[in-house]
Amino acid sequence: MSFFKTFKNDTWVKPYIKQYKGLLSLAIFLGFCTSFCAAALMFTSGYSIDKAATQPVNIFLIYVPILLTRAFGIGRPVFKYAERLRSHNWVLKITSELRTRLYRTLENDASFFNEKHRSGDIMGLLSEDINHLQDLYLVTVFPTVVAYLLSLFGSIAIGVFSPIFGLIIFLLILVEIFVVPVFSVLIESARREKQKSIKANLYSELTDNILGVDDWVISGRYDDFKNLSQKNLKELESLQSKSKKFRRNRDFVLQIVFAVIAVCFLIFTNIKFTNYQAQANFVAAIVLAIFPLSDAIIPVSQGFEEWPEYKSSINRLNSLKTEKVELPEQVDFDTKEFKDIELKNVNFTYNGTSSVIIENFSQKINRGQKVALLGPSGIGKTTILQLILGDLVANDGSVKVNGIDVSKLQNHRTEIFSVLNQNPFLFNTTILNNVRLGNENKSNSDVIEALDRVGLKDLIESLPDKYDTIVGENGERFSGGEQERIALARILLQDAPIVLLDEPSIGLDPITENKLLDTIFKVLKEKTIIWVTHHLQGVNYADHVIFMDDRKIEMQGSPKELYNSNEHFKDLYNMDIGI
Amino acid sequence: MIDKRLLRLPGTKKLLLMLAGLTFLQAFVILFQGKYLAEALVNSWKMKPLDTIYMPMALFFLAFVARHLFNLLNSRIVDNYAANTSEEIRSELLDKIYDTGSEIILRNGSGNLVTSSLDGIDLIENYFKLIFTKILNMSIIPPILLIYIYMQSISSGITLTIIVPLVILFMIILGLAAQSKADEQYEQYTIISNHFLDSLRGLPTLKMLGLSKKYENNIHVVSDEYRRRTINTLRIAILSTFALDWLTTLGIAILAVFLGLALINGTMPLFPALVTLILAPEYFLPLRDFSSDYHATLDGKNALGSIFETLAIPDNKTKDTLSNFSWDENSHLEIKNVEFKYEEDAISSSLDIKELKLSGYKKIAVIGKSGSGKTTLIRYLGGFLGSNTNANVVINDQQLDNLNVQSWRDQLAFLPQSPYLFSGSIKDNIKFYNPLASDDQVNLAAKQAGLDIFIDSLSEGYETIIGEGGRGISGGQQQRIMLARAFLAKDRHVLIFDEPTAHLDIETEYNLKAPMEELFKDHLVIFATHRLHWLKNMDYVIVMDNGKIVEQGTPDDLQKSQGPYMNLIENMRGDQL
Repeated sequence: MSFFKTFKNDTWVKPYIKQYKGLLSLAIFLGFCTSFCAAALMFTSGYSIDKAATQPVNIFLIYVPILLTRAFGIGRPVFKYAERLRSHNWVLKITSELRTRLYRTLENDASFFNEKHRSGDIMGLLSEDINHLQDLYLVTVFPTVVAYLLSLFGSIAIGVFSPIFGLIIFLLILVEIFVVPVFSVLIESARREKQKSIKANLYSELTDNILGVDDWVISGRYDDFKNLSQKNLKELESLQSKSKKFRRNRDFVLQIVFAVIAVCFLIFTNIKFTNYQAQANFVAAIVLAIFPLSDAIIPVSQGFEEWPEYKSSINRLNSLKTEKVELPEQVDFDTKEFKDIELKNVNFTYNGTSSVIIENFSQKINRGQKVALLGPSGIGKTTILQLILGDLVANDGSVKVNGIDVSKLQNHRTEIFSVLNQNPFLFNTTILNNVRLGNENKSNSDVIEALDRVGLKDLIESLPDKYDTIVGENGERFSGGEQERIALARILLQDAPIVLLDEPSIGLDPITENKLLDTIFKVLKEKTIIWVTHHLQGVNYADHVIFMDDRKIEMQGSPKELYNSNEHFKDLYNMDIGI
Repeated sequence: MIDKRLLRLPGTKKLLLMLAGLTFLQAFVILFQGKYLAEALVNSWKMKPLDTIYMPMALFFLAFVARHLFNLLNSRIVDNYAANTSEEIRSELLDKIYDTGSEIILRNGSGNLVTSSLDGIDLIENYFKLIFTKILNMSIIPPILLIYIYMQSISSGITLTIIVPLVILFMIILGLAAQSKADEQYEQYTIISNHFLDSLRGLPTLKMLGLSKKYENNIHVVSDEYRRRTINTLRIAILSTFALDWLTTLGIAILAVFLGLALINGTMPLFPALVTLILAPEYFLPLRDFSSDYHATLDGKNALGSIFETLAIPDNKTKDTLSNFSWDENSHLEIKNVEFKYEEDAISSSLDIKELKLSGYKKIAVIGKSGSGKTTLIRYLGGFLGSNTNANVVINDQQLDNLNVQSWRDQLAFLPQSPYLFSGSIKDNIKFYNPLASDDQVNLAAKQAGLDIFIDSLSEGYETIIGEGGRGISGGQQQRIMLARAFLAKDRHVLIFDEPTAHLDIETEYNLKAPMEELFKDHLVIFATHRLHWLKNMDYVIVMDNGKIVEQGTPDDLQKSQGPYMNLIENMRGDQL
């Protein structure tokens, strides 16, 4: 069964339950007490009324049950309150650990970020998975365990008086808390899975409708526009209404079984508790006590229903690789001594694919050189940067800094390399914090100086919160050019001798682009730069240009040289500046 | 509590009537359920034999079943209503998107619209369910039960009557306290709760900065801080549930005591006491149900509110008064005094054109720095801006208010900065303007766009499915598909280009030039660009700044005048070799 398979090699759920079983038991115990008090409240009040109806001479005879009634009446909300706080606390505690672990796992697995063709927002998915695990505990595990404990407790209590009735009740409850829930998972799993996949299709269809609306309007195809998502919508709706129908009927059946249980109790008490009045006084108590329990028992099926969701989350988390990349012995490196980077006969193919990305690439870059790397998208320009950083390892050939293989310099990579890419990541915190990430030992005035050098001082000082302005999610508070400049300030603080630029100006308009490139090359004048770019704007800043075409170097040389000697380069250059 | 706009939805009033009827019946079966249960219990208490309780037991069982049957009917009706209404709302939303074009996207964000038309509508379904059923339950069931309880025992009736306003008062007081506390923490709270995702997405950056190991500790600290804050907020937020629970259970406990005393005094027989005790939890149940899903209800209410708001955006359709219109070499278009602002209260206009004349198969470039109004002009000419841009438009001697009419759009082929390809086959994407085109026509168009070699290299050829937004193929090929689309649309004689090569690398653009020049023939071309080499192919240039045309004329004339045109070009070129 998929249930056991999911948990067989699981390391994301079981170990935590074991580790925190003390607190978990406390939360479950409180949940049990909540339901117990609810039942006991009806029990004691039923008893006090029956007892009172015998008109005892002394009011103190019903004093104890009345006191208990009050106690349970207060106990229920108190336990419920405590239970909710405890269980949330427990779950959030585990969540902290899961998050830290997920982060650590991804941090160790460098290849995770480099693997191509990762579809969609994998980070979003993983962080959602952690939320699903929260639900697993709060929506399913806690209520289910409490319901099971209550059922067991109740059946045994009845069994003490009459083993046969105890067994009958046990079997009836088993239908409520096990048979129907499992049946519901079996029926609904496939349907849910189907709904999920239709919904994913609908997302893309509606996105087509919305993002492509201008095209639809121009084409005048109104009917097709409306019909695009109709088929899937209809199918989703029919599946959903089947699910709803199933759920309605299931809940109805659960209620009927519950009614049967109630009737059994009526019969049981009538047979077993009518021998003398003191015994008969318990009749209403016992029967009324079971009604509050339906609140605990009936929702079990609902909790089970979420299983497919949990399963896929648990499986995804468990499938994350945890092994660490083995590095050779690390050597020391003094960045002041940096002389050159040399790539020699490098070949590269992504694991498991046959398409060669880079073939026999060689290049030597000396300290202070500015090298521009051009070529159509998808040609492996970024791959070369990753090889230089040591994030990817060449199948053949070598990448060396001062004659030392980069894989031996990973302890020093942040002192040797800085990277500025097309969408620099800004954390949703202040500008100051974002820039200081480049070097946490720098003072505020150093950070401000760096921001001044990249030309942001005036802009930032015109903002109400100045350097403490929150940059917003993904830096949305600032324009693309400004985000690049913030990231550039970060690099200035980092002060590494080699800077890798990965199309930092793509998507900017030419005037902004000119200004940004001007700033970049001005503040990084002393650095060695390897610049991946998609066109020739600003190519005059480079002293060496390499054109790549389909894995190989198509032409290279200084831009002036190429302009004078190479017709194709001349054509491209003239086109780029519009002559 | 109920959004008034809800009542205007079709079928809502009928639904409410039906549900009210059902709830009314349900209240009575709940009453019977309690009554017969009490009868059975009283007989057992009197130690009567089993056969004396058969009848009340059977009636109890029937009432119980009937109660849940009504419940089932109730949910069925609401489910159907919710499904139909959601469908209706979704359809209206799509119409609205079609009528207002991408303006609605600017306003709401595309992701937002997709989510609200799928997930938002699910939330709304939930909302319908909760709101209709729960409010009716709360307003019908307790009063009926209360009347019956008064008939049985006046003092019990009074006890139960007093507790309800107390409950509501406590809930309001505590609810308000929790609200203000929650608001206080909310901003901080969302930042922290998004922190984890932020960190995961920023992990490559942290790694490059050598901070990723150190940051691990930070994840734990922040996560724990989040836990602390959540628990603190929760402590108050669930106080209102606590108060509700506490008052209702205590109410039952007090009731039991009163009943016990009355029984001891002999002023009341067992039956009415028992029936009151059984019905007391039922009396509180609707109130409890209502408050327990209150937050789910809020989500649905907000979702519905935002959809209603979107639906209330005025669409800018214009009546199509053009007759027998098509663009040819002798056609001409004259526009006078167009003014447009994206926001009503903006200080300066995004578009402010005094006069613009277009004619025949001219090639017209629109240039300007970013934010100069290029794109707005392009969108105006593409007929995307509506009645808020009414002006004096003359097209082939016919008068119009603006260009937002289908007869004009039928003449257009549009190439935006980032083309949007639909998930489907390459063939269907090429046939977008002419769904009925034959395979031969498609092949020819693909060849003209220089797409044939690429398509032949694919194992599925023309039937290759491309992902949403063209995922899986390069930017250059995407633009070629758009070109093939325009080649195929022989009956469309106006090309509108909005920086189609801005995101392409230089060699790809170089290779695209030939097919684009081919496409320009026999078309009126309106081409917004900041790639200057295109100017050589143009007959006429419009220079934009601050929403205004600051200079226009042939490229040669503009070059001679040394005005804004030359100034802009110098700035764009930057330093040269």
